[in-house]
Amino acid sequence: MATEESPQVTRRATRSYSASNTAIESTNLPESYKPTINDLGFRQQPLRLEDLLSSFPGRRSQILELLRLLGPLNSPMFPILVYGGPSTGKTSVTLQVFRHLNRPFIYSSCITCYSPRILFESILNQLLFHRKDSGHSYSSVKRCERPSDFVNYLREALENVLTNLKGNSGKVSSKMSGRPDGTMVYLVFDNLERIRDWDKSSTILPFLFNLNDILKMPEVGLIFISNTSPDTYYLNIGYVEPIPLYFPDYTEDDLRHIFMANQTNSRLYASFLDVVLRPFCRVTRQVDELAAAFSSLFKKYSEPLSDKEVAPNEEMKRRLFSHIRPHIASALNETFQVRSQPLLKAETNEETKKTNSSRMLGIREDFDKIDFHMSTSAKYLLISAFLASRNPATLDASLFDSTGVSDSRKRKRNCAYWKNFKYSPRACYNLTLEYMGI
Amino acid sequence: MAPSLNDDSPPSTIDEAFTENNLQPFVVLQKGSSRKSDRKSSGTGRTRRTDLSSASPKNSANIEDEKEDENMNLRMEAFEFVWSKIESTIKDVLRDINMNVFSEIQTWVHQSFDTIRSLGTPEFPEATQSFPIITDANSKRLFTGLVLTKNMEFVDDLLTFEELGKHLKYQGCHIANLSSPDFTAKNGVGGCLRSLLRQFLMSSLDPADISILASWYREENCNNPVVVIIDDIERCCGSVLSDFILMLSEWVIKIPVILIMGVATTLDAPRNILPSNALRCLCPFEFTLGTPAERMDAVVEAVLVKPCSGFIIGHKVAVFMRNYFVSQDGTLTSFIRALKIACTQHFYTEPLSVILLEFASEEDNLVLEIERYGLSPEVIWKHVFELPSCQRVRLNKPTSESLAHAFSELKRLQNQWRAVVLCLYVTGKGEKVRLLDLFCEAIDPESYNQGEFDTNMKAEKDPVLSSSRIKGHFICKAVRLVRDLSTAQLGNLLKIWENLTVGIPEINGKVKELLPLLNAEDGKSSKKDLTVTPRRHTSRIQLNIEKDSKSLSDKATNLIECMVRDYMHPTECIPFHEIFCFKDADKLRLALIGDPRRRIQVDLLEFQKLLCCRCCTSSSNALLPSMHDTSIMYKLAQEHGDLINLHDWYQSFKSIVLCPNSKRKPRQSPLPKKRKGIKEAESQSEASIQARFCRAVTELQITGLLRMPSKRRPDFAQRVAFGL
Repeated sequence: MATEESPQVTRRATRSYSASNTAIESTNLPESYKPTINDLGFRQQPLRLEDLLSSFPGRRSQILELLRLLGPLNSPMFPILVYGGPSTGKTSVTLQVFRHLNRPFIYSSCITCYSPRILFESILNQLLFHRKDSGHSYSSVKRCERPSDFVNYLREALENVLTNLKGNSGKVSSKMSGRPDGTMVYLVFDNLERIRDWDKSSTILPFLFNLNDILKMPEVGLIFISNTSPDTYYLNIGYVEPIPLYFPDYTEDDLRHIFMANQTNSRLYASFLDVVLRPFCRVTRQVDELAAAFSSLFKKYSEPLSDKEVAPNEEMKRRLFSHIRPHIASALNETFQVRSQPLLKAETNEETKKTNSSRMLGIREDFDKIDFHMSTSAKYLLISAFLASRNPATLDASLFDSTGVSDSRKRKRNCAYWKNFKYSPRACYNLTLEYMGI
Repeated sequence: MAPSLNDDSPPSTIDEAFTENNLQPFVVLQKGSSRKSDRKSSGTGRTRRTDLSSASPKNSANIEDEKEDENMNLRMEAFEFVWSKIESTIKDVLRDINMNVFSEIQTWVHQSFDTIRSLGTPEFPEATQSFPIITDANSKRLFTGLVLTKNMEFVDDLLTFEELGKHLKYQGCHIANLSSPDFTAKNGVGGCLRSLLRQFLMSSLDPADISILASWYREENCNNPVVVIIDDIERCCGSVLSDFILMLSEWVIKIPVILIMGVATTLDAPRNILPSNALRCLCPFEFTLGTPAERMDAVVEAVLVKPCSGFIIGHKVAVFMRNYFVSQDGTLTSFIRALKIACTQHFYTEPLSVILLEFASEEDNLVLEIERYGLSPEVIWKHVFELPSCQRVRLNKPTSESLAHAFSELKRLQNQWRAVVLCLYVTGKGEKVRLLDLFCEAIDPESYNQGEFDTNMKAEKDPVLSSSRIKGHFICKAVRLVRDLSTAQLGNLLKIWENLTVGIPEINGKVKELLPLLNAEDGKSSKKDLTVTPRRHTSRIQLNIEKDSKSLSDKATNLIECMVRDYMHPTECIPFHEIFCFKDADKLRLALIGDPRRRIQVDLLEFQKLLCCRCCTSSSNALLPSMHDTSIMYKLAQEHGDLINLHDWYQSFKSIVLCPNSKRKPRQSPLPKKRKGIKEAESQSEASIQARFCRAVTELQITGLLRMPSKRRPDFAQRVAFGL
């Protein structure tokens, strides 16, 4: 859940990139696209350090720390565990750092890769420059289910990639050609906390943490990203602990900076934030939750304004505040707002109005409040289920358990009963089967 | 009852619910038995065919049989025709009901797709890369349409969602329909992904990976939204669903997925099922389908009230079907099935139902060609004029003209009835007066007869009592509503009435008489509004206006009362209605519910009728060794109370089976005078008798007529079913 706010710079860069490349890309058919070593990089213009820092307000120390841990070009590193609450920018910062450094990396999210097999195959596919397409019926490059197989394949593939990287590194200025720098490959595992749910984390999680030791390749860097802190992973069982890097929650000021980025009417939005940010910060500091709440609230806030570009003065701010105040309280409690289509809403409103107007006072009381259809017997069933839920457990057994409580005694009695017959129950049973066969 | 409900519950049989297949078990069973009773028992009086054949001259029995067969074929043909007409009408009605919502959803889907596209349209390498494209905090949100079905029984809604899928597919979306079996904890998120890939890629791939979907989407021309429809989220496993949502939200820019989820209860449902981190990924919109009751009303209006096929159901049948809908099952599917069974039964039992074919196809000029119906004219005339409804009226001349005249009269009365019922329905619509209830009351012949009686007794001078003459709670309610309407509403209502009664000059004329009054009133009130009046007059003027409108609404109330009284002839009070009207609720109940346990008991007790073997037909009640073991056992069990001593039971069973002659032996007859030579064979047979006994007991237990010995009383079996 490590999303990030919208850094203005990134966005612009994305657009310019796609705009500049459409001419080239669109001529290629998608089927003919063959991934190369360039795909291990971010494949966008590298970011300057100032841009990187400015696009993540409140994350300056973390970025610098991450850069320090990654070290200069081609230097081996210890595994890193990036952790922090949801929506604190872990994934985005990591990805953008790689963009800044322009180094090759492999990313896999454990939400998308929901089982070990898919995780392994996804990593191998990326390393071997394999894309699933209809040509080979969307199959992976290798079938790989066990960690031991994965290690072998991975080592093979990494060596291949590394020679490829080394061969290219000397030739041209890599910045120009879009080729990633250096002769190191980084493996990024996102949403690591999900792995704990797979087969009780007995094998995969220790295996991943131990991957550095197993591979014994200094050219491979491991980065884990997790929602939960390192002590939830039982790290002290005999392998090198990853270096933790904590992303704290944003402060109110950080949030203000984040939300002020790329607003068209910054003065109006600033006055809006003055009103809403403080109460909301007491409830949540997650950027995605706040963004969802603010987008609809801001629409309400600027509703009375005819000209959205106007810079508000004090008087106007006061009026807008009194306008928005009732909505804030409700929005605070509501994390899940269901909107309905305006057209539909209008229709239903009309209908309710109609019924209201034609309704005589006191004639009809609204006794059935449930507004969905349920048959009468279903209602009875619900009531009886509720009543049965009030029964003590002992009563349950005597009411609903037809076989009674103790089976052994019953069997004994049954045997006694069967002794009335001259033949053993077994023989009778066999004969019965014969009869039924006929 | 259990099997008929079970037929509905598994989702796989939904398609079949409308087709023949689902009907078969009971219909076949009933058909067999009814044919039997037709042939054998002539005293029932319920099946008119029996009367016919017994009344016909004996010497021409063969010809009669042939004719009867021909008639039967014709009737079945007529049934096919009528039912196909009803079915297509129902389909149209349901489609029309959903159309508004569907187009609403469709525009929303395209809007959301445009929104997603505006966030970025990645190129092929970008779209298939493993790391997410991050542009905006909102870029991980999934557009989600919550479709409120307002129905606990999801049988009807499965069809609706299928239709929705078709509708959207027609508009160029990629559609996948998922339902709760795809979201089980056992299969995890892999299960629903696999089903998703199977529907999009038309092939099943072993590791179901969402990146495959991304590649596929890029290979298609990526200009269409991908819509995933989940039928019933209440039944899905919450954790799997939330995993699925989180995964989709990571890919939403690369694959523009739009979710549509069916919610049966309220909008709180997703909040209860999903954890907050999954809810955060949703960007929900709300849509509302018509409630089952609304759909039901629409179907009833189109099929039973408005002229559709000519086939109608009687009061008792209608009440039975309404109760079945309201209290038992609550699905439209089962209602339609009941209607179909009623229709089948009607055509099966009523020889003259062939006429419906022409009644349905030709609208006005009904030409009766009796000879075409397969039966000889004498038989038909006899049959027609022996109809109970006809005997009341006494047509003097049995001619084809008089019959045709009677039919056109019937049609006319029916049209009047329709118009009045629709007027009442329109009146009560805002106040939740259901057409189904109204229909059941309006079709009740009792109330009409009573009303007639009352009018004869009382003069019309007492206006207060006049309303009490109208029987039925819902009709009363609708009539009372007219009185409470404001002038403008009354005007609208009168205009609707005028449209509804266009074919019936008597009522139409009366409605038209009221309309000018209304216009005058309008003019008056508007004039009064325009003129500036001193303050103290206003109250008086308002009083005046109120008085005027009072009088007008009184007139309207009188009109609707008069309509109900004079023009609402229930079909069952019209001569010859038996030809078109199915009235046998018991038969329908039997066919619909089946009552399998009773059937089993009857078959066990009267097995001769089924087996028809020579050895047991000697018709005495004595138990013979040649009888079927289980029925011997069951007959013996009849002599016991609710507990059966196993030893006694076994001994009497043994004595019956061993006894060579039909005479019943006393219970303790272990045959003391048997010879030593046959001891071996004797013991062998003892073993086999025990085995037969065990098998019979097991069969009785399986059929639910017996409970095995409990631990408390190991020597006693318990009877479960008593009586029929």
